[in-house]
Amino acid sequence: MTLALVLHDWRILERIVGLTHRLGCSYRSVEVRARDDNRYDARIEFAGSHDALRRLDAQLNRLLDDDKEMCQ
Amino acid sequence: MPDTAASTGAQLILDVLADEGVETVFGYPGGAIMPLYDALYGHSIRHILTRHEQAASFAAGGFARSTGKVGVCFATSGPGATNLVTGLLDAQMDSVPVVAITGQVRTPLMGTDAFQEADVTSITGSVTKRSVCVRDVAQLERTLRAAFRLARGPRPGSVLVDVPQDVLKAPCARFNPLAPRRRTQPTLKADDDALDATIDLIRGARRPVAIVGGGARSAGATHLFREFCALLELPHTATINGLGCAEPGDLRFLGMLGMHGWKAANLAVNEADVLFAFGMRFDDRVTGRPDRFARGATVVHADVDASEFGKVISPHIALRGDLRYTLAQLAQRLARMKSRPSFAAWGREAKALGGPPPPDRTPHGELSATSVLDRFFAHAPEDAIVSTDVGQHQMWAAQRQRASHPRNFLTSAGLGAMGFGLPAAIGAQFAFPARSVTAIVGDGGFQMSIAELATIARYELPVKILLIDNRRLGMVRQWQELFYERRYSAVDLSDNPDFVAIARGYGIGGASVTEAASLDAAIVRMLASDGPALLHCACYPEENVWPLIPAGTSVNEMMEARPLDDAVPA
Ligand SMILES: Cc1ncc(C[n+]2csc(CCOP(=O)(O)OP(=O)(O)O)c2C)c(N)n1
Repeated sequence: MTLALVLHDWRILERIVGLTHRLGCSYRSVEVRARDDNRYDARIEFAGSHDALRRLDAQLNRLLDDDKEMCQ
Repeated sequence: MPDTAASTGAQLILDVLADEGVETVFGYPGGAIMPLYDALYGHSIRHILTRHEQAASFAAGGFARSTGKVGVCFATSGPGATNLVTGLLDAQMDSVPVVAITGQVRTPLMGTDAFQEADVTSITGSVTKRSVCVRDVAQLERTLRAAFRLARGPRPGSVLVDVPQDVLKAPCARFNPLAPRRRTQPTLKADDDALDATIDLIRGARRPVAIVGGGARSAGATHLFREFCALLELPHTATINGLGCAEPGDLRFLGMLGMHGWKAANLAVNEADVLFAFGMRFDDRVTGRPDRFARGATVVHADVDASEFGKVISPHIALRGDLRYTLAQLAQRLARMKSRPSFAAWGREAKALGGPPPPDRTPHGELSATSVLDRFFAHAPEDAIVSTDVGQHQMWAAQRQRASHPRNFLTSAGLGAMGFGLPAAIGAQFAFPARSVTAIVGDGGFQMSIAELATIARYELPVKILLIDNRRLGMVRQWQELFYERRYSAVDLSDNPDFVAIARGYGIGGASVTEAASLDAAIVRMLASDGPALLHCACYPEENVWPLIPAGTSVNEMMEARPLDDAVPA
C-alpha cells in the first residue's frame, strides 16, 4: 500500500512509525519533502497483511486529521 | 495605548485557559514549570495540589468525565511529566477531554540530557491525540487553542502541550480577549442513504438489539438514545462506558454487556438479527472472540470516528457522524413511518434470557462484597456520582450501579488503570461540590493513590470512600484460581495496614464493618456525614465475579456462579 500524505507537522512521522509497528506492518520506502507552505509531502510504501493495512489506513487518516487541526 | 509587551508565556497560558472556561487545574510544581506556578500566584484560576502527578491527571479526567468540560493538569519536566502518562492514556482510551501542560528545560538545554530533561512529546505522543512542544512564545496561544479544540472533539481525548522554561518566561503581547476566534467545527452529519438503509433494516428486523457506548456520553446524546429505544420498544444494553445512558428503570435495558456483563445482554446480542452499535468500539472485553460475536446480526455502527468502522467488526451500515444528529434523524424517520414496528415481545423474551448477575456464595459469617455494593447502591442518592478503581469491585459495581446519567459513573474502562478511583472522585467533587461523590476502591488500587487522602483533607472535600478490602489483589486472584490452577502468585495483601487509622491520620473519619448485620447502618452513616468519610469493609477474600466470559472466547463459554466447594473445575 502506497500512500501520498500531507503532513502539517513533520514530527507526526514518529506517530506514523509507532502505529505502523503496532499494527504489525512495516515500510518498504519513506520519502518526505518540505513544501513551500510549511507542509510536507510524504510518500510511504507500507507492507503488511491486507487487514492490517486497512486498519492502518483508517487510523492514519484519523492521525492526520488531528495533525491538521493542531496546526491551524 | 495597549500595553503590547506586558505579559509572559506563563501569564498568557493562564489567560488563555481562563478564556477557554477553565476555573480549576490539578497539578504539582517543580523547577521547569516554576514560571507558570509564579503566574498562578494571585490568578483567578484555582490550582489544586495533588500528592502525585498521576493523581492530578486522573483528577483532571474525573473532572472531565463528570462534566464533559476539558480537565486540565500541570506537571514539571522530566519525572513530573512522565508521571502523567497513565492518566493521559486513560483519558485518551475513554475519549475524555484532558489537556496537560508540562514545563520543559530551557530550549538551549534540550537534547543535552539536562537535569530533569525528558523527551516528553515522544513519550506521550502515543498516549494522547497530540503532544507538542512550543519553542516560540509567538506560537503559544495558537497551540493552546488548538489543544483545547482537539481535546474537545469531535471525538474527545487527551492533548499535551510541553513548554520550555524560557518560553514560559518570554515576554509577549498581553492576551487579547477580543481577538477573532476560529469557528467551532460544523456538525458531522451521517449520510442520508445510510440512514434510510437503517430504517429499511428496522422494517425487516425480528430480534434487534441496541448497544450504547461512551460515544453517546461524549456527544450528549443520552436522551436521544433513550428516545430511539422507546420508539421501537427496543431491548438495549451498554458497554461499561455507556452505563447510565439507558433510562433508569427501563425494563428493556438488559444490563451491561461483555466479559462480566449480564447474561441476558450477552445472550440477546448473540441472538440478535440486527445490532445497532451507538458510539462504542467493539472492545475485546465486549466482543470476546470477534469472529464469534453476534454472528447472525446485520451490524449498524454509528460513530463520529470513521477509523472505528471495521477496526474489529465490519459493519453492514456505517453511520459516520455526530450521534446527536444520527439519532435525531433516525427518530424523525421512525416518527414518519406509517406502521412503526414494536419489538416489545422480543424485548420481554430477551429480558427472560437471564436475571441479574448472581452473587458468589460466601461462607457463613463472612461479609460479601457484592452485598456491600447492593446495599450501597440501594442507599446512594439518585444523582450520586460514583467512581471506581479497577478490579473485582469495579465489575461488581458496574453490574449493580444505577446511574441516572453516564456522567455519574466514572471508571477507567479502556485502560483499567488501578489508582484511578480516588483522584477521579476528587476531580468530580471539585466540579460538583454539593453532590454526593463516592469512590469505590479495592485495597490494592486504594493504596496506589492513598496519599490523595491529603488532598481530600486539605480542601475539605466531602468525598466518601467505600473500601472493599478482600486482602487480595482480587481480580488477579480470581484468574489465578480459575485459569492458573490456584497457583496464587503475588496477590496476597493480608498484611494490609489499618486503613481507618490511616484515614484518621489524615484527619478523615472512618469506620470498619465486618458483618452483614451492621452494613446498612454503616453505609447510611457514611453517606450522611458532612465531610469526607471512609467505610472500610472487611470482605471475604475468595468471592468471585460472575458471570465470566473468559478472554478470547465467546458467549457459549460463559461461566456462572457455582457452589463454593465446586468453584474450580477438576
Ligand atoms: C496500574 C495497574 N497495575 C496492575 C493492574 C492489574 N490488575 C487488574 S485488577 C488487579 C487487582 C486489583 O486489586 P484490588 O485493588 O484489591 O481490587 P479487587 O480486584 O480486589 O476488587 C490488578 C493487579 C492494573 N489494572 N492496573
